[in-house]
Amino acid sequence: MKIPVFQRVVQVLLSVRVMLFISLMLLCGASIAQGEGLFKAKCATCHAVFKNGTGPKLYEARKRWEDAGEGDLIYEWVRNNAALRASGKSVRALEVFQEYNGSVMSAFGDLTNDQISSILDWVDSQDPNASAGGGNVAQATSSDMSVEEEESIPWIWIVMGIMFSIIIMAVGGVRRELKIATKESDKGSEGLTYIDEFKVWAWKYRLYVGLTTLVLVLSLIVGFFQTLYSVNIVEAYQPSQPIAFPHDVHAGVNGIDCKYCHNSVTKSKSAGLPTVNVCMNCHKKINGEGEEYQGEIAKIYAAAGWDPSRGPSGAYTNQTEPIVWNKVHNLPDHVYFNHSQHVVVGGLDCKQCHGDMAKLNETAKVQPYQELNKIEENIESKIEFDRATMTMGWCIQCHEQSSVNITDGKSGYYTEIHERLKENDYNLLTKYNEDGRVSVSELGGWECSKCHY
Amino acid sequence: MIKKRYIHICFFALISTAMVSSCSSNSDSPGNEYMPDMYRSPAIEAYVDYGEIRGRENTDVKSKVSARQTPKYTIPYYGVNKKEVELMLPNKRKAGMTWRESHGLYGWDLDTESGYENARMDTINPLTMTAQNAKTILKEGKRLYESMCTHCHGEKGDGNGTMIQSGAYGDLGVVPAYKNLDTLSEGKIFYSIYYGKGYMGAHGSLLDKKEIWTLVHYVRQFQRDGYGNFEEKDESDSKTTDSK
Repeated sequence: MKIPVFQRVVQVLLSVRVMLFISLMLLCGASIAQGEGLFKAKCATCHAVFKNGTGPKLYEARKRWEDAGEGDLIYEWVRNNAALRASGKSVRALEVFQEYNGSVMSAFGDLTNDQISSILDWVDSQDPNASAGGGNVAQATSSDMSVEEEESIPWIWIVMGIMFSIIIMAVGGVRRELKIATKESDKGSEGLTYIDEFKVWAWKYRLYVGLTTLVLVLSLIVGFFQTLYSVNIVEAYQPSQPIAFPHDVHAGVNGIDCKYCHNSVTKSKSAGLPTVNVCMNCHKKINGEGEEYQGEIAKIYAAAGWDPSRGPSGAYTNQTEPIVWNKVHNLPDHVYFNHSQHVVVGGLDCKQCHGDMAKLNETAKVQPYQELNKIEENIESKIEFDRATMTMGWCIQCHEQSSVNITDGKSGYYTEIHERLKENDYNLLTKYNEDGRVSVSELGGWECSKCHY
Repeated sequence: MIKKRYIHICFFALISTAMVSSCSSNSDSPGNEYMPDMYRSPAIEAYVDYGEIRGRENTDVKSKVSARQTPKYTIPYYGVNKKEVELMLPNKRKAGMTWRESHGLYGWDLDTESGYENARMDTINPLTMTAQNAKTILKEGKRLYESMCTHCHGEKGDGNGTMIQSGAYGDLGVVPAYKNLDTLSEGKIFYSIYYGKGYMGAHGSLLDKKEIWTLVHYVRQFQRDGYGNFEEKDESDSKTTDSK
C-alpha cells in the first residue's frame, strides 16, 4: 500500500514541477532558446555553466554582480570589459580580473542587453542537480576495470610447495622414529640401509611408484618442449604501467583516434608515446569519477605540474615529474621495423597488428594471433595468422598473404614500382599477377635486407 | 594406513608441483629470449630502458622519462623549398604570459601581451591555396582533422564530437561550432591550435606549422560554403573581417 501512495506523491510533485517549467517556458521560452544558442557560440569556449574554467562559471553570475551592487554593469563588462576596468566605476570588474590572474576576456561589442540577459536567463534556468550525472556514460562502461596484483600468486604456490615437502619429510621422520622404536620386535627390517628399504618399499607399491615416475618423466619432457617453444614468444607480455590506462574508454567510448596520442606513427619509425601535455588537452577538465579514477588521473596532474586547487580553475605550476611507461612491443636490435611505412604507404589500420584496443579494458598487451584473426580488416584482406605475434614467422606470413594495389595510384611508392616494372620487366609483372594479385613478398617483402641490415 | 596416506600426499605434491611449474605466467616478464643482449643492446632504440644490459646495472642511463617534447627551437628539416621552409620557422605571434599557468607553456618564448589579439591582423594563410593544390590540401586537411580534431569538434565541425556525446566532459561547457566562429581571422585560428585557447590545450607539439595551416584551410570549409572550390569561381573569399 505504501508504494502507490509514494508514487502518487512523486507524480504530483513532478507534475507541479512540469507545470512550473511550462509556465516559465511560455514566459521567456523564446529568449531562453536564443540564450542557449548564444551561450554555445560565444561563451562556451571559456565558460562552463556550473564549474569554473578559463573563466568563472556563469550559473548565477548575474546574482553575484547584483550582490556586489553592480547588476547593471555586467552588460558593460560583457561588451567591453577592458573599458569598464579602465573607467574605474566597477569594483567587481577589477576583482574578477585579479582573481583570474589578469587573463583578458574577449570583448563582445555586438551583443545587446537583451541578448546578454537571454544568455544569463538560459544559464540560470539550468538545473544544477541534473548536471551532477554528467560523465556517467564513461563511468558506467569502465567501472569494472580493476588492476589485479597477479605477481604474488606464484610465490604463494612456492611457499605451499615448500610446506608440503616439509610435512612429507616430517611424516617420514616420524615413521622412521617409530620404526627404530619398534626395531627389536621387527627382525625383518634389521640391518637394512635406506636404499634397500626404499627398494623394498618401491617394489611393494610398484603400481604407484611406476605411475608417479611416468608422470614425472612425461611432465619433464612436456615442460622441456614447452620452454623451448616459448622462447621469444611474447604473446603473454603485458607489463604493468605507471598509470592504469584503459584503452577502451579512450579509443572506444570517447572515440579518440589512435593517431591523436600516438601521433608520430605517420611520420616516424616508432608510433610514439604521448607527452603528458597531450593527456592534459582533455584531462585538464576531466578529473575522473570515483576515487579509483581520480587517483590515476592525479598521477597525470603530478606529471604535468597541474594544480587543480590553485586559482579559481586550476593552474600549471611548472613542478613536473616524468612518467616512465614500459615498452610492450620490443623488437631485437637486428630487426628494422618502420611504423610510417606500414601505416602511410601500406595503409594498414592499427588494429590489424595490435588488436582492437577500443575493446581492451586494461593496459596495453601483445595480442595473441588468434585475436588478430578476428579483426574485420584482416578477414577482408584475407590475412590469417598461425604464427605467434611478434615472431618473424608472423611478419613473413602477413607479407605473403596481404595483397597490394599498385595500380590505384594512392601511394607514390607503389605507383613508382608499377611504372618501373612496366618499363623494365613486363614479364615479371605478368608473373606477379598470375594469381590475380600482387603480394608484398613479391615486391621485396621477403628480401632479407629489407628488415635485417 | 599411514603408508597409504603417505603415497597419496606424495602424489598430490607431485601433481601440484607439475601444475605450478607448467603455468607460472608472469605478465610482467617478456618470457625467455634467445639473445637478451640483442633486445636491449647498447644501440639506442626509442623507449627501451638501458639501465640494465647483460646483468650490469647502469643507473646513469636508466629510463627516468619516456616521452619528451622536442627541444626548444627545433626546426624539422623540411626540404629546400624556401616557401615551405619559412612555414617551419618559429611563430611570430607569441602567447601571453598567462598562457604559462593556463596552458602550461613554461619554457616557451612568451610575450607580455597576448599575441591572440594581434593575430587578428594575420588574415592571410601563408600556405597559399590555388586551384592546383586545393584538392591536395583539403585531402590532407581531412586526414589530419579526422585524427586530431573529430573527437571534440565533431566530424561536421558542429562541436558535437564523440567526447561530447559520451558525456566525458559532463557539464563543462560545450565545444563551439565552427559556423559561429567565422569572424575569426586565419591567424587567430592558427593561434588557438598552436598555443591553445580556453579549454583547448596547445597542439604545437603534435602538429607542425604546415599541418596547422592546412587545418586552418580545412576548418574554413565548415564556415564558408564553397571554400576551396575553385571550379565555380576563380577567387576564394580569403578576405576576412575580425570583429572580436
